[in-house]
Amino acid sequence: MRESKTRPWLLLAGPLLVIAGLLLYPIVRVTTLSFQRYNLREVISGSPVFIGWDNYRQIFTGAPGLPASYLWRTILPNTVVFAALAVVLTVVLGTLVALLLQSVGPKTRAVVIGAALIAWALPAVTGTYVWVWIFDPDNGVALHFLQSIGLVGSEGHNWFTDRYSFYAIALLNVVHHSYPFVAITIFAGLLTVPTELHEAAKIDGASAWRRFWSITVPLMRPAFAVVTILSTIWDFKVFAQIYLMPGGDGSNPEVFNLGVWSYVSSINQTKYGLGSAIAVLLTVVLLLITLVYLRLLFREEDTA
Amino acid sequence: MKTRTWTGIGKTVAVVALLLFTLFPVYFMLSTALNGQNGSGTDSLVPADVTLDNFRRAFTENHFGRYMLNSAIVTVATAVVSGALAMLGAVAIARFRFRFRSTMLVLILIVQMLPAEALVIPLFLQMKDWRMLNSLLGLILVYIAFSLPFAIWNLQGFVAAVPRELEEAAYLDGCGWWRMFRSVLLPLVVPGLVATSAFSFVMAWEEFTFALTFLSKDDRLTVGVGLQRFFGAHVNDWGGLMAASTMVTIPVVVVFVLAQRRLGAGLVSGAVK
Repeated sequence: MRESKTRPWLLLAGPLLVIAGLLLYPIVRVTTLSFQRYNLREVISGSPVFIGWDNYRQIFTGAPGLPASYLWRTILPNTVVFAALAVVLTVVLGTLVALLLQSVGPKTRAVVIGAALIAWALPAVTGTYVWVWIFDPDNGVALHFLQSIGLVGSEGHNWFTDRYSFYAIALLNVVHHSYPFVAITIFAGLLTVPTELHEAAKIDGASAWRRFWSITVPLMRPAFAVVTILSTIWDFKVFAQIYLMPGGDGSNPEVFNLGVWSYVSSINQTKYGLGSAIAVLLTVVLLLITLVYLRLLFREEDTA
Repeated sequence: MKTRTWTGIGKTVAVVALLLFTLFPVYFMLSTALNGQNGSGTDSLVPADVTLDNFRRAFTENHFGRYMLNSAIVTVATAVVSGALAMLGAVAIARFRFRFRSTMLVLILIVQMLPAEALVIPLFLQMKDWRMLNSLLGLILVYIAFSLPFAIWNLQGFVAAVPRELEEAAYLDGCGWWRMFRSVLLPLVVPGLVATSAFSFVMAWEEFTFALTFLSKDDRLTVGVGLQRFFGAHVNDWGGLMAASTMVTIPVVVVFVLAQRRLGAGLVSGAVK
């Protein structure tokens, strides 16, 4: 093709400029900041102080005002255990729904897919407000329901102060929002599994369970891998869903995850250096997950 | 026969339970929004008094119309500009074999995974330096950058699907490259362009972290952060909040329903290919 030496770069100039200026440069800057003390005083004077690994040391051994074990006892469980539970629940529920979709009539299928699309479309921000309102400690519908069946007394209950019930609500919210993507993706994949295989296995006397594990799962492995890794990346960095719940905006450090801790440290407490170091840690973890994802993608491409 | 009726009942129960879980929050949002009790004591599942009062109050007391307008500006600008830039990038990647092409592909995939939380601190300081806090333009720039990697990745699949023979034919007819781009490639990729822009639209409409950080002036908020203004010091206006939440949700549902087919296909091909 003619002129093909300069043309691709001409075409890429605009996109690359935007990506470099607003995504890559900030990544360099956040890394630099993570080795600096850049608190309110330094912001005013305009001269950050280089402090080496000190911000990272604070993350691992306790920042001022936080217990030494904060990262290990609060942040990591809130981030990792939550993400693991959310991913497992999302993928299992999504798969069950996909199987259900396959076995019902076209009308029921259309209704279920329509409902799932609405749940998927519900923005994270509004979805979170709805769940917070459902579990409102004063007037929430969950409170009234549990009081009416006698599980909660007239004194009421605040689910948001305890980190376990806080994250249980967050889990409901995240699974509700993310299972439709899994269900619709897996359902689309199921349509490509040849029915002859299932019929042959059925004639050989294989149970539905056995057919699922021996035929569907191996054939669908790439689709399962993709939805699992994408869900892992998303659930690892949930932000609005935590930040918008009572206490998640900075007043209750018990309920922070990595992303919220980074945000609150820098934006609310103006400790930009410390917040940056936490952000770098989050990014490194996500990049590791992404690398696994990439290897998987390119392996699929090679075999396909 | 008997087992068949039992599985039939099982399926019906499963479908009903699933629909209940899936739609209850949406129903509850709507019923609170339409409830005339000012949202303060809405403990019932059925609105006692159906009215549009909450919607009226959202607009008159909370500048919600302003937030909707700001979001519309930010969202449309993001979708249009990022769609145009992505088209150029996608053609470069799908149609040319150049040095660093595969580096570029991997770079795009990795950049796509960057968490907003990692970028929000340096970008906040940057916007502050550029005096672009509380500016919708600053937010638009960030959203364009944020949606570009996925948009390029998604679009290059659509460009690659256009048969090269059509391009060759255009050249034989004496077309220059740009002419061929405009009259052959572009029209054929329009469906992909629409799907990609729909993604950028939804992303920009729903985005929360950057908007929360960059915007603080009352008349500059976008809908995502504007919702916070429904929390008073003493009383939460749940009726108003749910009415506003409904209005924030509707455009996304509309885009999802319109782009449903392509949305699913785009996600899967973007993810798998």
